[in-house]
Amino acid sequence: MIFSGCVPDWHLEVIPLFVKMLLQPLILADLPPSSATTVMFRLSIIVTLFTAVTVGLPSAHAVDGDSAPRFETHVRSIMKTHCWQCHGEEEQPEGELDLRLVRWMLKGGESGAAIVGGKPDESLLYQRLRDGEMPPDSSKLLSAREIEIVRDWIVGGAATVRPEPESINAGAFITAEERSHWSYRPIVRPVVPQVADSDSVVNPIDAFLLARLEARGFTFSPRAVPHTLIRRLYLDLHGLPPTPEAVALFAEKYDADAWLQLVNQLLTSTQYGERWARHWLDVAGYADSEGYNDVDAVRPDAWRYRDYVIRSFNADKPFDQFIREQLAGDEMVTSPQNNLSAADAELLAATGFLRMAPDGTGGAVPDVNVARNDTIADTIRIVSSSLMGMTVGCAQCHDHRYDPISQADYYRFRAIFEPAFDWEKWRKPSQRRISLYTDDNRTEAARVEVQAKKIDAERSKKQSEFIAATFEKQLTKLPVEIHEQARAAHKADAKKRTAEQNALFKKHPSLNVTAGSLYLYDKKAADQLKTMADEATKIRATKPAEEFVRALTEVAGRVPVTKLFFRGDHDQQKQELMPAGLTVISETAELNEIPVDAAKFATTGRRTALALRLTSVRYPLTARVFVNRVWLHHFGRGLVTTPADFGALGQKPSHPELLDWLAAEFIDSGWSLKHLHRLILTSNAWQQQLRNSDDQDLADPDNELYGGARLLRLDAEALRDSMLALSGRLNQKAFGPAVPVMADRVGRFVIGQENLNAGRPGAKIDLKGEEFRRSIYIQVRRSRPLSVLETFDRPAMVPNCDMRRPSTGSTQSLLMMNSDLLLEYSRFLAAHLADEAGDDVTHQIQLSWRLVYSRLPEHSELDAAAAFLAEQTAVFSEQSAYMPNEKKPPARTASQEAMALMCQMLLSSNEFLYVD
Amino acid sequence: MNEQQNHSARRHFLASSAMSVSSVALAWLQNNERASAEIKKPDLQRKSFDTTPKAVLKEPQARAMISLWMQGGPSHHDMFDPKPEMAKYDGKEFPGEIQYDNAAQASSKVFASPWKFRHHGECGMELSELVPHTASVADDICLIRSTKTGVNNHGQSIRALQTGRTVEGRPTLGSWLTYGLGCEADNLPAFMALIDPGQLPVLGVENWSNGWLPSIYQGSVVRPTEPRILDLTPPPHLKGKAQKRALEFLEQLNSRHVADRPGQLDLHARIASYQLAAKMQTAATDALDLSKETKATQEMYGIHETVTAEYGTRCLIARRLIERGVRFVQVYTANQLWDSHGGILSRLPAACKKVDQPSAALVWDLKQRGLLDSTVVHWGGEMGRLPVVQNDAGRSKIGRDHNTYGFSMWVAGGGFKAGHVHGQTDEWGHEAVEDVVNHFDYHATLLHLFGLDHEQLLFRRSNRDQTLTDGQPGNVVSALLA
Repeated sequence: MIFSGCVPDWHLEVIPLFVKMLLQPLILADLPPSSATTVMFRLSIIVTLFTAVTVGLPSAHAVDGDSAPRFETHVRSIMKTHCWQCHGEEEQPEGELDLRLVRWMLKGGESGAAIVGGKPDESLLYQRLRDGEMPPDSSKLLSAREIEIVRDWIVGGAATVRPEPESINAGAFITAEERSHWSYRPIVRPVVPQVADSDSVVNPIDAFLLARLEARGFTFSPRAVPHTLIRRLYLDLHGLPPTPEAVALFAEKYDADAWLQLVNQLLTSTQYGERWARHWLDVAGYADSEGYNDVDAVRPDAWRYRDYVIRSFNADKPFDQFIREQLAGDEMVTSPQNNLSAADAELLAATGFLRMAPDGTGGAVPDVNVARNDTIADTIRIVSSSLMGMTVGCAQCHDHRYDPISQADYYRFRAIFEPAFDWEKWRKPSQRRISLYTDDNRTEAARVEVQAKKIDAERSKKQSEFIAATFEKQLTKLPVEIHEQARAAHKADAKKRTAEQNALFKKHPSLNVTAGSLYLYDKKAADQLKTMADEATKIRATKPAEEFVRALTEVAGRVPVTKLFFRGDHDQQKQELMPAGLTVISETAELNEIPVDAAKFATTGRRTALALRLTSVRYPLTARVFVNRVWLHHFGRGLVTTPADFGALGQKPSHPELLDWLAAEFIDSGWSLKHLHRLILTSNAWQQQLRNSDDQDLADPDNELYGGARLLRLDAEALRDSMLALSGRLNQKAFGPAVPVMADRVGRFVIGQENLNAGRPGAKIDLKGEEFRRSIYIQVRRSRPLSVLETFDRPAMVPNCDMRRPSTGSTQSLLMMNSDLLLEYSRFLAAHLADEAGDDVTHQIQLSWRLVYSRLPEHSELDAAAAFLAEQTAVFSEQSAYMPNEKKPPARTASQEAMALMCQMLLSSNEFLYVD
Repeated sequence: MNEQQNHSARRHFLASSAMSVSSVALAWLQNNERASAEIKKPDLQRKSFDTTPKAVLKEPQARAMISLWMQGGPSHHDMFDPKPEMAKYDGKEFPGEIQYDNAAQASSKVFASPWKFRHHGECGMELSELVPHTASVADDICLIRSTKTGVNNHGQSIRALQTGRTVEGRPTLGSWLTYGLGCEADNLPAFMALIDPGQLPVLGVENWSNGWLPSIYQGSVVRPTEPRILDLTPPPHLKGKAQKRALEFLEQLNSRHVADRPGQLDLHARIASYQLAAKMQTAATDALDLSKETKATQEMYGIHETVTAEYGTRCLIARRLIERGVRFVQVYTANQLWDSHGGILSRLPAACKKVDQPSAALVWDLKQRGLLDSTVVHWGGEMGRLPVVQNDAGRSKIGRDHNTYGFSMWVAGGGFKAGHVHGQTDEWGHEAVEDVVNHFDYHATLLHLFGLDHEQLLFRRSNRDQTLTDGQPGNVVSALLA
């Protein structure tokens, strides 16, 4: 017997859950038919385990102290990563050796037993690994440490933690160790810890953080000063700086009540949604173009999804509802598709979430089937990384190397989306859009069309008359004997003319009077026809404009099958699979299943069921993943630093109890994001000043303990929007189609309406203030990243972005120093200072500091700025462009230009670019 | 304040901030130099990073590197690795095992190279008629015929060669080199990425990513068309005194700000980046100005010919950057230029025409300027091709599928053996069988030439010391060394 009665003595903190799982019938179901003896046997193990519980999670590869390695805890993940692809996962394992169970290793393959318990040197498995013969690919060899673990394991008798199953269902064997991974465990609201400095605890967030800090002998940093705090808050919630008036008001009274009031005030502003929707649009992979190929066709209707997200955030739509609408809004629609209500149009717009992945099928692609399946794969990537924090996409071609997600699991998950995407009966982007025309619109359009047709008919009649008259006139210039023949030829359809008739026209080309050539003979007649055509066009333009929504829908009644694609190749289809969520989650939590075709809906209801599953309070990932993202955006660092990977390769949470407390609180609040914001923003933890403690810097270099605030750089949108806002230029118009982006004369992407003339930029088209709208409304065309945003790390959507990575580079510096954009914005700011503060330079300087830094300048700063202005004014005065000139007065004076330059330096400075 | 004082004030400021604190890279190297068997203490030093030149353990042979990155997988069968015996089997069934990437288009028909190979140079290196210019520098290059990554996809294999592992998010070779060595120029970025005017290579910006190394080690992109660096020149009214004084004012603002925020690395990095940007305005303008090259030099790179002008220009820019002390330059071909799954009979010669002459000119030019000894030139992509036909749908459509089990690339200069052929693939050119050079061997060897040890160039992250080779059994391949 493999499990030869050894006493497990390794460190394990997961026992209670592990015990629970062993006792769960649900879990036992995938193990061999259990006899009383095996259950009893398991119980005896559990008892033994309990006696040995200590703290500390075993790392999969590590062997602690003198504890003997076990298969499940130490060896299995090594085998999975390096060996199973050939020895386990293929239909016919190489050399008939399957390394997925120890029982099968003992049985061995063609060459005999792979292991001999206690005798590594007689074990073929060990020999092959040791000698570097396996895996055959030398670049995938095991590390010395891993080989040592295998050896130690064999020496110790090749033990398992528990008896192994008799067989493994297709990819369904998931060990207790895998199931007990932290993020799959149920969310249980933890007890809030007690701390010594209870005065510093405003809410449990503080308690969880402070408990860890105190354990290390630290405490929170003091609360930040008012002007720092209010600037941080505005940039966090609005992505815009506070006005000087707001700063002054807050400085007068900044106690806890005033603070909460301010937080609430900011949360009710539209600008809150415009800021926080952007975070979600990153993970949703929002783009106004299809991507995939060079054409990168524009998506004219994607903005409805963007607006839906902004509205949802502003309304504090319960997040579970927000998820349900995005995944299956189409199955909630009640009004008929030819008369959609506004609310239903919004539900369809919500499904735009599933239409954000690149989709090249509207244009030429090298392989249309590849393109279709790529769109589906990218959608799965977006859904799983944004909502589940899992790298499901890794299982597209083979079982996931690190997480318990089999390739079959991948295709079961894909089956949820199959009826909507339906790759074999694909609908191109233009075929998927849904018209928002109502019956009233259609009636009106038909009425207008009748009018237009009338004019068409008149015009057509007139045209025939003109052509006939002109033809006859031409005929008079030719010999009479050919007239009859010519008339017959002219009357005949141009394509059906006889050779003789064609010869006639060739000989007398002037007889070829047609609608297209009429203007050459009779300009007046042609103009008259043109006027009539214009008239018809004008009438047609009075039809109600037909608008569309970008949505994902299913074709009622069509239920396509999903097959596993061997190695991800759609040409190598294997077994059919039924829709399902991830097996590992199904095995750990009691959740609804995904129906093949729910009777309740005309469509399959699969996505509705997925949404229900993901928003179940028992689903362990959704709330954890989302609260972690919210935390990341407030603190600049997630409790889990890999927000899109909560699997084995992701980082473990720095404060697991806090993460779970937040998740539980979030769910209990009715999935209210604004509740979560309030909790975080009113905590002492969030209000701390920038950490400035040598002790903590040394002990906790990454500020994992939150003993002070983290310095954050303005992200791309906040940077651009702030510059516009503080110079009074920001156009606050919300919602609607995207503001276009074009290439300028040097090929840089700027805001503007493309107006090409022989391929080169033509005259500039006035955007009438649209160019000053918030960045979230600027077109996101994948092939045309707006330069100022791209330079400051606005991500490319391929297909989405799980976390931004701010960089510091000389291209950013050059943009701040030399770009037209900065010159323009700086001059706006200088003009704004003159407008608001009058002619007094001191007042202008003071206002500039209050606008850009949210504080007044100190005396030394004021003096330095004044000196700088005086010097620069002198410099510019020497340039001819600034000299008085009666014929052509200078566009701006030397002192105005000096002020603009000072503003440019303020905008380029760290105090503006970073948030304390 | 006169200019001299100004200058020294700024130097003083620098000395008191980011620039003076010894980098962690150096700290680790020094730790290792003490060769202590003692257990490493956790790194409690406040971390600070810059690109000033760093001391290394031993006198390096290589000081700079230009990597000509041939994304897509040049066909070694048709350019570098002759298998004359295969001609006998051309069109017949391949007798062995093939590791296909795209089984859908796979065939088992042997595909002997239709191009002729000849011996070149005194060393007698065999190269095909597709690369006549490369053949002319055969005595200067070291051809590795046994490269291997063993991961059959572009993305993963690119990552293996560029970052050491197949997973996403790791720093690239250029980042490691500049992290470990800094840069001899203080007026140009340490690591520059010269991208193609077509699409970015597969993985796009990941190709010059700093991964989790500090962002100061990220590659700086040089645009493929003029202006090659945006905003490089000040607007007319700011030229000269106005901007100089403005940047001093900016530095005053920033110094005051950072004084209250000690240890905030990003603030120091940004201050340094303004200083670099200011210097780049003249230095980069000069480096990118090819009108200063003679007509003969320009023609050597093929700048006068349509087909070679674009790549030749970038190769010449690369040389000018290296001359000015840039540490690492990578010159990319467009997305999948070499990925000849089909139409190889026309696609491959076209790709060769584009890069062959400029690549060879670079080697020759560096040599005549005495720079080749200290500059590594690398020419290669992430894979080679299979010995069998892919897409067997007519002569004009045939191609070859991916092969990362054995393929060719060449290196030159910087301490690599000249006029040398290293390693062998099997009789079919499918798998490297002799003197295999895995990506980690290649990296270990490269770092060695730069005076670094791949196991000792460390970056501390997540409480673990990270290296380029990441625990893989990388060997310095002594047979490659001069």
